[in-house]
Amino acid sequence: MAERRLTNTIRTLRFHAGEMTQAELGERIGVTRQTVAAIEQGKYSPTLETAFKIADVFGVRLDEVFQWGEGV
Amino acid sequence: MAFREKIAWLTLGTMLVAYGVYFGVVGPSVDFGARRMLDIVWTFGLVATAHAVAMIVGSIVIAVMATKEASARADERDRAITRRGATVGYYVLILGMILVGVVMPFTEPAWKIVNTALLAIVIAEAVCQIVVLLSYRRGWHG
Repeated sequence: MAERRLTNTIRTLRFHAGEMTQAELGERIGVTRQTVAAIEQGKYSPTLETAFKIADVFGVRLDEVFQWGEGV
Repeated sequence: MAFREKIAWLTLGTMLVAYGVYFGVVGPSVDFGARRMLDIVWTFGLVATAHAVAMIVGSIVIAVMATKEASARADERDRAITRRGATVGYYVLILGMILVGVVMPFTEPAWKIVNTALLAIVIAEAVCQIVVLLSYRRGWHG
């Protein structure tokens, strides 16, 4: 059985937000650019508060940003 | 590379060099204080001071190069990684302290106990920094 893990669509959402940079997103949610990169790559699972902040920046629901699905 | 990851590399690198010099060169040259306990104070003190100076200079250089990032507060990932490193390092330190505080006093002379305690502190801090670096490199979910 494949291991389930947290995945996200932040890269796509940034693209649709006028190619928003990781640094800009990080600044708006209060984390560093490296932390945004780690979240995007699935190397770090953000706190619930940060997850909601990310969804808020893009104006979408939380489950449109993060999904609990099959890992790669 | 994140500012705090660079600082962790600096800490680990300077530690390994400084205390490698103490335990490999300077310590043996005075028999680790076996003949005169005060030798431990000035040799280790000298090495620890050199380590502190290297850390201060290195941190300033990294901070100047990082500018904006250096003044930013640690974010949630930095804090989670720091906690993980400190937790693992703590258990290593506890093991070392049990060895030097509970076991060694029954069989070993004071100079050996002191040097083993210093080594335990160095190993615990090195383990802490290695865990921090691995967490930055491979990821850590907090």
